[in-house]
Formats: sequence, structure tokens, C-alpha cells
Amino acid sequence: MTQFSQSRLDSIDIAFYHTRLSYNRRKITNQIMLIFTGILTSLALLPLVWIISYVVYKGGQYLSLDFFTQMPKPLGMEGGGVLHAIEGTIILTVLGGVIAIPPALLAAIYAAYHSNTILGIAVRFGTDVLSGVPSIIVGLFVYALVVKNQGHYSALAGGIALAIIIFPTIVRTTEEMIKLTPRTLREGSLALGAPEWKTTLSVTLVAAANGIVTGILLGLARASGETAPLLFTALGNENYEIGKIISSGVANRQGLLAILNRIFEQPVDSLPLTLWKYAQQPYPERISQSWAAALVLMILILVLNIATRIWLQRRMSRLQGR
Amino acid sequence: MDMFLDTFLLDFQNRNSHHNFPSLIDYSVTETAEEDKTKKVSFLVPASQIDSFTPSPQDTKYKASILNFSLFYGKFQALRNISMDIMANKITAIIGPSGCGKSTLLRSLNRMNDLVPNIRIQGQILLEGENIYAPGVDIVGVRRRVGMVFQRPNPFPKSIYDNIAYGPRLYGMRRRALLDEIVERSLQQAALWDEVKDKLHHSGMALSGGQQQRLCIARALAVQPEMILMDEPASALDPVATLKIEELMQSLKSEYTIVIVTHNMQQAARVSDYTAFMMIDNPQNRTGVLVEYGPTAQVFTNPQNKQTEDYVTGRFG
Amino acid sequence: MHRNLSSSQIQRLFQHGDRPWNIGVIAAALIVPALMLAIGWMLWRDSAAARLAYGWNFLTPTLNASWNPVADEFQAWPFIYGTMLTSITALILSLPVSLGAAIFLAEISPNWLYQPLSWMAELLAAIPSVIYGLWGIFIFLPKVVTPIGNALFLMLGSTPWLGKFFEGPVPVSGSSRLAASLILAIMITPTIAAVTRDVFLAIPITQREASLALGATHWETIWQVLFPYGLSGILGAVILGLGRALGETMAVTMVIGNSIEGSLSLLRPGYTMSSLIANEFAEATGILHSQALIEIGLILFIMTLILNMAARYLVWRVARRNPQEART
Repeated sequence: MTQFSQSRLDSIDIAFYHTRLSYNRRKITNQIMLIFTGILTSLALLPLVWIISYVVYKGGQYLSLDFFTQMPKPLGMEGGGVLHAIEGTIILTVLGGVIAIPPALLAAIYAAYHSNTILGIAVRFGTDVLSGVPSIIVGLFVYALVVKNQGHYSALAGGIALAIIIFPTIVRTTEEMIKLTPRTLREGSLALGAPEWKTTLSVTLVAAANGIVTGILLGLARASGETAPLLFTALGNENYEIGKIISSGVANRQGLLAILNRIFEQPVDSLPLTLWKYAQQPYPERISQSWAAALVLMILILVLNIATRIWLQRRMSRLQGR
Repeated sequence: MDMFLDTFLLDFQNRNSHHNFPSLIDYSVTETAEEDKTKKVSFLVPASQIDSFTPSPQDTKYKASILNFSLFYGKFQALRNISMDIMANKITAIIGPSGCGKSTLLRSLNRMNDLVPNIRIQGQILLEGENIYAPGVDIVGVRRRVGMVFQRPNPFPKSIYDNIAYGPRLYGMRRRALLDEIVERSLQQAALWDEVKDKLHHSGMALSGGQQQRLCIARALAVQPEMILMDEPASALDPVATLKIEELMQSLKSEYTIVIVTHNMQQAARVSDYTAFMMIDNPQNRTGVLVEYGPTAQVFTNPQNKQTEDYVTGRFG
Repeated sequence: MHRNLSSSQIQRLFQHGDRPWNIGVIAAALIVPALMLAIGWMLWRDSAAARLAYGWNFLTPTLNASWNPVADEFQAWPFIYGTMLTSITALILSLPVSLGAAIFLAEISPNWLYQPLSWMAELLAAIPSVIYGLWGIFIFLPKVVTPIGNALFLMLGSTPWLGKFFEGPVPVSGSSRLAASLILAIMITPTIAAVTRDVFLAIPITQREASLALGATHWETIWQVLFPYGLSGILGAVILGLGRALGETMAVTMVIGNSIEGSLSLLRPGYTMSSLIANEFAEATGILHSQALIEIGLILFIMTLILNMAARYLVWRVARRNPQEART
């Protein structure tokens, strides 16, 4: 080992001696920056409080039972509700879920068990990229795929668009949840001679059910707030009323399938679509209704979000406690 | 030497009931701890230089003293009533079965345990006579005085040069010439200079495991600590790299006080001057206690405690 | 012949049901890449006539571009510019906030605060775009954007070079590219913050220990060790946020003013690619008009595709570097 001369050692020691003087400055910088990040965090979350409080304030002023049970009144008239949009939101969201969930679960099962194959990587990477595709592009795609072929806008087209939007979310959460289930569980069932499909459906998916349901509900919550993919798929329809369709169908002695077909083949409105249209109209009544629609939509989405998260956390902590 | 050891052992055996041994603990540099100047001097003068003036073994200092130290994670008590002195310019090994709290004790010496939430301590740890757990103590300063080398090499994903210059730069050193000198000296002290002097600006991550660990030692040396804690520094290394680290420790002890945690008894026997044996007091509460502490030769050849004997002879559990 | 098949033969043929099951699973997995390809191919196919008619001229940067469905004159530049200007401005505005929030969440906040704050960030991300737009039109624009815009105009409007971007006057309603940028910044902050937070959480704790043991302060550890360590992942988060901003439609459409005017200014109304499609596609009757819109969609798709792939790759690289030593 090279021996350093005493004078060189001293020069380093003296340098350290002097650097000690900046200790206070370093500590103050530390304090300031740590507090500053806290301030930035509250700045990031400030809009949440601001938006929620305004939507509750403005929407709450208008909200009444009529708003949920009445159809819209003609422009310029007071009163009326958004029953058509509430029904439409339910129809579109359920349709999106029904279309997306089965293939999403299967794709997730593939990705979870074949994470190293080319297709497995393609699924994981593809879902990530797909979730970043602008929703308006999905709207364009479904327009070309469904609307153009059918020749008219429809609830079905809107449902397919929403399905494409939530598909990646469900695949990714399901895949993560399947991966979290212990391998031994699966091996135990396979060792008993159960075929793979039975094992996956009755053991793996059941064990991962909590997480999967959470993923689906969060996906549906997102779908129910989407507007852009519906602009040229579901389009909007102020005369849409399921009750009327069903009663006229029954009166005409149509079968269940025919009635369902009439429900799905018409253009349909949804809460966000209605909100968007009303907000841009120069009638104060419509703008108030727009705030009310925002409140309903926000409650729906926030409740879904908070409830599923709390539920999942409870289930998880109970499982861990065991 | 023998005379000293006897004194030490007497001292050690009395430790559980008494904690003040002014005759042995040299408080001279910290009597006026509040005065900045004294403090600075105390950490500026490497212990080696003090020793070189007074080579007699009786004057060997306690670098640090752990006094009746207990540590809790929430309700769980990890350490109970540990008292031991760490001798300056010696290598002290802490051995014991896994889960006995030896790493926890080591990490208490530079307050790395503060990172764990819900931690609570009782007792004191004196570094050069100053309680590092006293309120208002500058934790950053403590860590700077007590360096640490971890179980797995953890170089930053920066160049070798920047890894070593990281510490000095924190303290405000910007002069290139000075940094060059520190980097070179630290690498030489860590016996790594010859291997890396031509690739100082390559990534530290590109080195082999053993080299990475020596880089981490060099990085710790660069801030001129007084004491270096090593938490199983060779556990992730192959035998050749392990040997290098052990040789390095021997060459470093003239300037630094070293405390090493190891679960490798041969290693403790080979490298250390003093050995502390820790164990859990009972399997239910799993609290770590200090069973025996003394010169390494004695702990391994003539242990005073039955449990120690069982452990060092391999009859343990 | 079918009758002669014994049940065991049927079982062997289907491998106890596993063969159809596996086919189904693979088919479902194929949907993902197929969907990506189909979207790209459809946008390509349906914009053929427009691509043929306008060629590269469609994309030429120019201040006085025309978008005239009656005369079938279409140029995409104002919309590309509007999208890029608003997205990049949003990113610059959001970056310090989201980075600070991510650092606070991952490194500083006590445990009891971490969960509620993370939830709030997720709720912020869950609020539908149209609600941002509604709040923007009636609250945020008059109360925040107009005053800020006027102040910027007074301060920077007459500076020699930068002034081009701060030409006034700000519309009374506040509808402007600045409004879109600010709303976008609010909307992408939770995304960037959440991904950055996860990047920080994926950094091994040994890196923190190494730095602290050298006597670094908490902040020095965060800024000089963790930040460079996670840099590529953070870059990924930023690009992801940019991708979100590029494609965001409804809120932007509601606050940007939807006007094609030959101005570079942030303070003037503008148009983005997505808001143009949202406003015009349903009513586009001419073939070239709708095809030009689809071509704009194609450009947007390619932009977000590249950004997303780059972002995912960068985030994935950090997560892969130290898989078993991650902190959580």
C-alpha cells in the first residue's frame, strides 16, 4: 500500500474540517425540500377537492327525483330528467363488460401461465400499449368496424367501444392476481387428476376472485365515465327509453330476442355524453342539468372506486391475518 | 498484553451492574462536547495517530461503548440490556445464530435502525463518550463518523470515481485535485487501486462481486470515518474474494476501528481481536441478548459460558 | 361412425377438455395483438384517399393552413401544433408537481398518510374527462386561466422572441391553449406521480442505506442517488403522461376554444387533433373530409403508440434491474 505523506493527509483532513461548516446549510436544504414535496403533493391533490366540492355544490342544487325518473323536456322548457342517459349508461356499461370480460379473463390466464412465450409477452406489452391508445381512436375504429357495416349508430357499437377500453385493465389486473395465487394450489388440483381448465376455473380463478372482481369493477367505473369513444358509436338519443321499448315490444307480441335487439340496435345516450352536450348549450337549465349529471356520474364512479378498494383491502388483510 | 486483558475481563464481568468506568473510558476529547472546536479535533485526528504516540496497551481507548442498550420494534423487543465496549483500532466480531439481533445491534451503532418505523430504544451508545441517541444529536454526523459496509455490495450505478467521490462531494468538496486524491487514497486503502486505476470512469456495477464490495469499503473510507461497521461483508462472495476482504480488514485496523457481524465462526476467529457472542434469550420472545464478550482467543478456546461453548464447538441447536 | 366412439376415445381426443380450453385461451390472447394491428390497419386503409390526395403536404408546418370541408382543402398542421404545444406545456407544468408528489409518497410520507394520499391520487385519475371539462368551463377558466393568461400577456407579450407564444388578447371566456394545457397538467399529474412513485418503490433499499451510511441527508439520498437510479423509469412515467395528454379529448375540446387561427400563441384559442375528430367526425359527410380526419387519427395513433412503447420499455427496465431486492 502506498504511503501518503503526512502533508497530503493533512490537506484532506483540513478540507473535511472546512466542509463541516456547510452542515447547517445541508440540513436546512433537507428540511426545506422535504416540506416542499409535501406542498407539491397537496397542490397535486387540490383539484380533486376543488372539483368534487363544486360538482356537489352545483349539482346538488338541481338534483331531484325527477332528474332520475323523467325524460328530457324540449329545449328551453324547465324540468325534465335524464332517465334516457342513466338507462343508456347502464346498457352500455353492462354491454361493454359482457363483451370484454370473458376474453379478457382467458387472455389473462394465458399471459399469467406463459409469461415468457412470444405471445405472452405480446399480450402483456400489447395490453399496456392498448391502454394508452386514445379513446377517441377506439371510437374511430369501432365506427369503421361496426357502424359502417351496420349502417347506423347503435348501443351495440358503443358497448364494443367500451369493451375495448376496459379490456386491457381487466387483463392486467387478472394476470397480476393469478400470479399472486400460490402455485401449490394449482399443482394440488392438477395432481388430483383434474384437467387444466377445471383447475383454472374452479381453483385459480376462485382464489384470485377478489382481485379480479376489483379489476372488473374499476374497469366498468372507467367505462361509465368515457365519452370520446361513444361520440360516433352510440351517438346519443334523447328518445331512448327501455320501458317504452319493452312495453311496445310486448304489445306487438315480439319475442325476448327481438326486444333485446331493439334495445341494442338503437343509438343511445349516456351520462357523460349528455353532460357534454348540455354543457355547451346556452340554456341555464341545461347547464344546471349538466352539473347534476356530473354529480350523479361522479358519485357512481367514486363510490365504485372507494367501495371496491376498501372491500379488497379488507379481504386482503383478512387473508393475511389467517 | 495479558495484564490488559485481565483488566478488560474484570471490567466486562462487572458491566452488567455498573456502567461507569472512568478509569478506562477516556473522555478527554469530549469533556467540553458543546464546544465545536474540541468536537472537530476529535474526529479530525485519526485514532491511529493517537495510538502512535502512546503505544502502551493500557492506553488503548474505547471507541464506542454500548450501555444497557435495548431496542424495540413496536411491541417486539429485539435487543435487551446489551453492554459492551468497542476497542479502538481493533476488530470486534459479533457472532451468533441468525435472528439473534447481531445486525440490529450493529446498525444501532450508526443509527441505521432509524429507518425502520416504530422503533424505540433504551440505554445509550457512546461514541467517543458522546451518546449518539441523545436528543438533538446530528444523525447525519453520526453516520458520517461511523461508516458501514453492507451484506451485499451496493455500489451506486455511477462510475467508480463518482461512487467514491459521492461522500466527499456531499460535504461540499468540489476541488477536482482534492477529490482525485481522496479517490486514489481510498482505493489504495481498499486494495483496489491497482485493479481499477485505468477505468475509474467505468460503472461501479461492472466490477466483480468482490471488487464491488471493496469499492463499497473504499467509498466508506473516503469520508474518513472513525469506525467502520461491516454487516456480513463477505457472505455474498466467493472464498478468494472473502480472503481479500479479510486481509483488507487487517490492514485497515491500524487506522480504523472495525466492527464486523458474521455468522461464519472461522472468519470471526481469523480476523477479529474481540468477539461478542449473542443469542436469543428464549424461543418465545426471541429477544437478542449478549451472552459473552472477550478476546477472540478466549471466546473460542476457553469460553466462560456454556452456551458460547456449545455454539463455537458447533454443538448448538 | 360417431356412435362408435367410446367415451374414453372422446376424452382422449379432447384431452379431458383441455384441448378446446387451450385453443380458447390462445385465441383470447391473440385478441390483444390482433386488436392493435386491426386499429392500425383500419386507420391506414380508411385514410387512403386522403393520403393519396394530399400527400406530405397534409403535414407541412405552416401558419396559414386551411381546413375547408366545402373546398376539400385539408392541412393537419394547426392540429398537430395545438396537440404538441398543449401536451408539452402540460408536461412542463405537471413535472415538478408530480415528481414532488411521487417523492413525498414513496420516500417521505408516514405510513398512515401513504394510503389515503395514494387513493386520492387514484380518484383524481378516475374522475371522467367531461367533468374536468365542465369544471374547467365554468370555474377554472374564469377564476384561474383568464387572470393568469392576462398576467402572462402583460409580462411576456412584448418580449422579442418568446412573445410570439404569449400574444394576446386572452378571450374573455378563458378558452385557450393555456386552459387546455393547465387542465391537461392536472389530469396527467396523477398518472406520472403514480408511476414515478412505483419506480421509487422498486429501487432496492440497499441504495438508500449506502447513501445514508455515508452521512447523506434524506434529501441528498433522494436527489443524488434514488433519482439518478430511477431516471429511466421516471422518464418512462413522463412519456406515459405525455401519451395521455396527446390523446385526451373531451376536457380539451371543452376548454381550448376549437379555433383554427394562424397564431403560435399559448394564450389564444386553438385546436387539437383529438378535439377536431370529436367535433367533426360525426358530421363529416364528404369522403375526403372524413378520410382526412381518419388520417389525423392515424397520426395521433402512431404518436401515442411510439410514446407508449418507449415509456413501457423504460419503466420495465428499472423494474427488471433488481427484481428480488425491491423494497415492497
